[in-house]
Amino acid sequence: MSLERLIRIDETRLEVPAGYKQGMLVKGVIYVDRTLEKELEPSAIEQVANVAALPGIVKASIAMPDIHTGYGFTIGGVAAFDLQDGIISPGGVGYDIN
Amino acid sequence: MKQDVLPRMRDLVEVLYREIPSGVGSKGKIRLGPEDERKVLLRGAQWAVENGYGNAADLDHIESYGRIDGADPSLISSKAYERGRAQQGTLGSGNHFLEIQYVDEIYDAGAANSLGIYEGQVTVMIHTGSRGFGHQVCTDFLEVMERAARKYRITLFDKELACAPVSSPEAQDYLAAMRAAANYAWANRQCIMHWTREALLRELGTSPRELGLELIYDVAHNIAKIEEHTVNGKKKKLVVHRKGATRAFPPGHPELPAAYRELGQPVLIPGDMGRASYLLLGTQKAMDETFGSTCHGAGRVMSRHQAIRRAKGRAIWREMADKGIIVRSAGRETLAEEMSEAYKDISDVVDVVHRAGISKKVARLRPMGVVKG
Repeated sequence: MSLERLIRIDETRLEVPAGYKQGMLVKGVIYVDRTLEKELEPSAIEQVANVAALPGIVKASIAMPDIHTGYGFTIGGVAAFDLQDGIISPGGVGYDIN
Repeated sequence: MKQDVLPRMRDLVEVLYREIPSGVGSKGKIRLGPEDERKVLLRGAQWAVENGYGNAADLDHIESYGRIDGADPSLISSKAYERGRAQQGTLGSGNHFLEIQYVDEIYDAGAANSLGIYEGQVTVMIHTGSRGFGHQVCTDFLEVMERAARKYRITLFDKELACAPVSSPEAQDYLAAMRAAANYAWANRQCIMHWTREALLRELGTSPRELGLELIYDVAHNIAKIEEHTVNGKKKKLVVHRKGATRAFPPGHPELPAAYRELGQPVLIPGDMGRASYLLLGTQKAMDETFGSTCHGAGRVMSRHQAIRRAKGRAIWREMADKGIIVRSAGRETLAEEMSEAYKDISDVVDVVHRAGISKKVARLRPMGVVKG
């Protein structure tokens, strides 16, 4: 179960450690408390980790408490990329633009 | 006030349902010629105001003032143009909605007062986006990006993460097309808000001043933007992707209009149709921790498919009516897909972002009347 490999930072945040998956450049941070963590989908955790491996990602692959599995990136996700080494991805915005 | 409109809720919902086109592939009252559609893509909500949909003052209360620079209509496929032509000023389907709500709880009296929000007050919330136009832009560019990821040899865990280096022509083209879709969405909500005002004025037989339906804020929650953030003590421009996440800029941020400069950016969190929605404010902690972002809604716990199965044999509209909420929907299955139990409890979600400090609660809004696609 992937939840066991996450680290609770504090009452509202879980960390997906950078060693969770080979290739991750930064950690993942999911804003969930102990109530909402029960609803975390394993596939959504994987997506947070996958995004953390994208080139030029800055600081962390972040997800909000309304996180659920989306197209490539989770819905409820925030990812910032460096303008020099980073990327832009339509999956990071989704189909329902704006 | 709530008690003034509650007895007329059925009529009001009916009128709004009639005035605001909704449903899958719904077509609006606006038919855009190619030149007009280009203008929508370039000028967003400003196009709407210039064409008589709403007031110039509305624009101050829209993220990016309702128009993001750098949109390029020449990068839009003919298919996207085709889909966008008749859908400007339409609600669409799925989780999109128009709700008549009331303020049922205030958490921050000072902030609520500054925003002109008080208990029992009637509010309207509009949740929709760039409709088929934006969907087509995404579809078109996913293909481009899959090729680009191979071309630039980017290793991906999942092909759905298709992407290209920021400075590549592929990424720049996507950004310019996505901005066009973002402008389409801002224009769309502006038109819908305008018709909502007109319909309520007419139905309630009142004046704009008395009705007082002023825009608090309009925010995006599916967008990529180039923004300045502080990383390791240094100011840096980054491209921030928010997908199902809302911008939540703090007090003092230069992008905020004068009215909100001291308060912080208002953030609207739409919940499911049976529970509640929230009004929050952005914080410095969001800027420090989450690139100035917070949550965007309840988040599904059931797929649309699962929800439809779970709702079999039930009359969701009646269950809602029993709770005192009048619902009108174009699609038969929409209500099943959108029932409360298909979503996380919005209050749990908002509680986390409030406790984490990445935004702060101002007020809770309860639905009275819902128009669904």
